[in-house]
Amino acid sequence: MILSHMGQYSQLDGIFQALADPTRRAVLRRLGEGPASVGELAKPFDMALPSFMKHIHLLEGSGLIRTQKQGRVRTCAIDRTTFAAAEAWLSEQRAIWEGRTDRLERFVAQDKER
Amino acid sequence: MTPSFDPSLDLRIERVIKGPRSAVWRAWTDPRSFEQWWVPAPTRCQVVEMDVRPGGGLVTRMSENGGVFVPHMTACYLDVEDGRRIVFTNTMAGGWRPVTEPFVAITAIISLDDHPQGTEYVAHVMHRSAADSGRHEEMGFYDGWGTVAAQLAAFVERRA
Repeated sequence: MILSHMGQYSQLDGIFQALADPTRRAVLRRLGEGPASVGELAKPFDMALPSFMKHIHLLEGSGLIRTQKQGRVRTCAIDRTTFAAAEAWLSEQRAIWEGRTDRLERFVAQDKER
Repeated sequence: MTPSFDPSLDLRIERVIKGPRSAVWRAWTDPRSFEQWWVPAPTRCQVVEMDVRPGGGLVTRMSENGGVFVPHMTACYLDVEDGRRIVFTNTMAGGWRPVTEPFVAITAIISLDDHPQGTEYVAHVMHRSAADSGRHEEMGFYDGWGTVAAQLAAFVERRA
């Protein structure tokens, strides 16, 4: 329970960092239409490949996309489980508040013993 | 006033806490006590400001993995009924000053009542509507878990 909360914090950071950039949002939008190679994704941007790869790595690190290399071609795809998690935001918030209430309850019980 | 409950945006936690109302109140209003339970261990919480009265500020910081303390929450108490009710929002700082939109905007209403086994505790937490979030996205804020991300998810799903 506690560990999953910590995971949530760091996953959230990654997702919001990923979404905070117009290039990365454009890449996500394109991937919404289906998987694409890095070359294909990079085409609309006036950017050196190493810089573009930084965006891809960041998106992959956030869990929003998955990549797979076959031969010399790296293909990217949306990771739907991360998006599903994003949609479940209210239950995430509920989990945070349930945890908070659990800890409050324990704290009050301990406080009474002192 | 009694706020309405919107099941698509709000959550409500009801619990009978085995301890007197005064103890639950102290846990919410004494900074050193609040620090003990507000965030899950091993993350540590530090109360920077806790001015429990309408318009007063509530500012916390947190430290993950023994690192430096970083901002966690800036909020403003909207209503305080001694021993019974606390209403606060993180869309404002102390003195009712509007702040840059927080990560997840909330208004929380914490209510305490006496119960034969201790304290009847209710937390009603309200969140912003998706329509509002859309407006913020246009303005360039990326702050809401389940707002921007959910919009993107919806965008992706529509094309699936």
